Amino acid sequence: MVCFLNRGDLDKFFNPRSVAIIGATHKEGKVGRVILENFIKRFKGRIYPVNPKYGEVLGLKCYRNVKEIEDEIDLAVIAIPAPAVPQVMKDLAEKGVKAVIIISGGFRETGTEEGRRLEEEIGRIARENNIRVIGPNCLGIYDNWTGVDTFFLPDEKMKRPPRGEISFISQSGAFASALLDWMALHNIGISRAVSYGNKIDVDDVDLLEYFAEDEKTGIIIMYLEGLREGRGREFIEVARRVSMRKPIVIYKAGKTSRGGMAAASHTAALAGNYAIYRAAIKQAGLIEAMSFDEIMDLAKILLTQPLMKGNNVYVVTDAGGVGVMLTDALTMQGFNMPRTPPELREELKRILPPHCIVENPIDLTGDTDDERYIMVLERLLPRDDVHAVVVVALPQVPGIKGSIIDYLVEAKEKYGKPIITIMIGSEEAEKFKSKLEDNGIPAFESPERAAVALRALYEYSMFRIRHGGEK
Amino acid sequence: MDPREIVGKALEEGRRKLLEHEALEIVKAYGAPIAEAKLAKDPEEAVKIADEIGYPVVLKIVSPDISHKSDVGGVIVGLKNHSQVLEAAKKIFENVRRNAPKARITGLLVQKMAPPGLEVIVGGLRDNVFGPVVMFGLGGIFVEVLKDVSFRIAPITEEDAYEMMKEIKSAKLLEGYRGQPPVDKKSLAKIIIAVAKLLEENEEVESIDLNPIIAYPDSAVVVDARVILRLK
Repeated sequence: MVCFLNRGDLDKFFNPRSVAIIGATHKEGKVGRVILENFIKRFKGRIYPVNPKYGEVLGLKCYRNVKEIEDEIDLAVIAIPAPAVPQVMKDLAEKGVKAVIIISGGFRETGTEEGRRLEEEIGRIARENNIRVIGPNCLGIYDNWTGVDTFFLPDEKMKRPPRGEISFISQSGAFASALLDWMALHNIGISRAVSYGNKIDVDDVDLLEYFAEDEKTGIIIMYLEGLREGRGREFIEVARRVSMRKPIVIYKAGKTSRGGMAAASHTAALAGNYAIYRAAIKQAGLIEAMSFDEIMDLAKILLTQPLMKGNNVYVVTDAGGVGVMLTDALTMQGFNMPRTPPELREELKRILPPHCIVENPIDLTGDTDDERYIMVLERLLPRDDVHAVVVVALPQVPGIKGSIIDYLVEAKEKYGKPIITIMIGSEEAEKFKSKLEDNGIPAFESPERAAVALRALYEYSMFRIRHGGEK
Repeated sequence: MDPREIVGKALEEGRRKLLEHEALEIVKAYGAPIAEAKLAKDPEEAVKIADEIGYPVVLKIVSPDISHKSDVGGVIVGLKNHSQVLEAAKKIFENVRRNAPKARITGLLVQKMAPPGLEVIVGGLRDNVFGPVVMFGLGGIFVEVLKDVSFRIAPITEEDAYEMMKEIKSAKLLEGYRGQPPVDKKSLAKIIIAVAKLLEENEEVESIDLNPIIAYPDSAVVVDARVILRLK
């Protein structure tokens, strides 16, 4: 039940019919201007600038106070100096606004007594009036479907990614904007992104719950520094429940231990903050990314591939060296690379030229063409003892024309098994890579990254299978 | 004594740390097997207890004012009979009177010596984000130098406890090495779960160290227990 209430509450943030922008201005470079421009550009609902200094901003009627707006306001965005925020919160309470994003900084994060006092005051006003708050000190929301965009970085500084299925929850605003910009460059789609800053109210747990129910979210990425005190158990419970439905990739920042803690016991001395978070991550069924590269590698494999039902991996390659590298990388990740079973070996020998290697990794060698891959994969993919296939089709090989790509796209649907590829090279490889990825077959630039990503898929699959969920 | 009473009494007396017999008793109350131990008031009672629980035994001074018992001559191990216990008990009281004259003496702990086995450590603490957390590791250099330990957030299942044991890098040692049989993981799991439960049910407990626990092929016993409380 809580879940539904939460969703109802948070829906106003992502899908408001009307928004008031407090601190809206026409002054170049001001946060209040960028946010207003963002809304004018992409938001389909009604927009109300609020600023006592102006009667009109960027062609829209400007209100002196939010209370003067006759319309009902679903969402308010605050971008004014911190000391003025409490009064605005009181006005919003009077107006009956229930969802507020406070972009402004100058609160607890300053470490000052004044900042702490202001934060407590806005928290109190929010609680007393049942107002849900995102922030303060945050970028707020970027929603690719409804056009809610409080990321106060103009389009020319931060490109907006295309629409997609990834939703992103970030404790760091700077990281959120950098990631979105990077995703835009690489044409990776985003659904919704949230930077929650000081999280005096809406936090990771609420957002996970919201995205779990959100049909536009296929996978959730989290950048987390730390949870609120006492929120750990709820986090594990909710994350576990959400993980049963969609994967959550987490990057935990702040991995070094809290060395200063007085060690009253052995256990306390050993229990670094990160050691405990790692336990929580595991218990919640989250997938941990250890680096920036991994965040995206994991996201793309988890988003596109079906569950992996066991740990037998076959490699089909046109480059012997990459086959060996993959064997090492996959084995190091704990995968089993079985020897090709006798009957399959015989069959492959029969259909392949004699210089091909039929032992796993199956090496079709440099004179291969697309057809040779298709013949082999048609015999591998239907087998129950094959749980995933890594295809290395380096395009430098002259015989590779590209029909293998169409085949892989069809085979993924037909056999319902994870298929990933390694693509190393320049323009031709990039071309193949985009075609594969546009069709839901991830392409990795290195065997090691592919192995790490596949391992994440395997672990997530095992979590889902163990707990009875389905994809 | 009931766990609540033990904790209540310590807090009443303003003690942040449970006395050793209290600590052992409280973990025992949660189902962890301990090396049998009883508190004696004087050397004569120590002998009586030793006869009761069986030899060999170890004697340890129990005092709220002494945290490093060996430093004041407050521990004597390997006592094999009646007369050795009597003599050792007298000697400990003497040592302590001389080396820590101001210390309040609660009594003398008589504990059954556990035969050698694989030393492991189970711990618990209260984290301000996650609440009760449990830890598992192998004793000695594995925990001290290599910090080879695993954690879980409570509450935990038996399956979690097994996973914790499997997760440490030196997990193979639990399976037995150099011809040794594997240790009794079921007993260890029981101890891990006991620590989790103890923390969950006693908010005043801040951290726990069961170190060492000696594991055998068919059992495991807690030899030393340290329980720290938080004062209000």
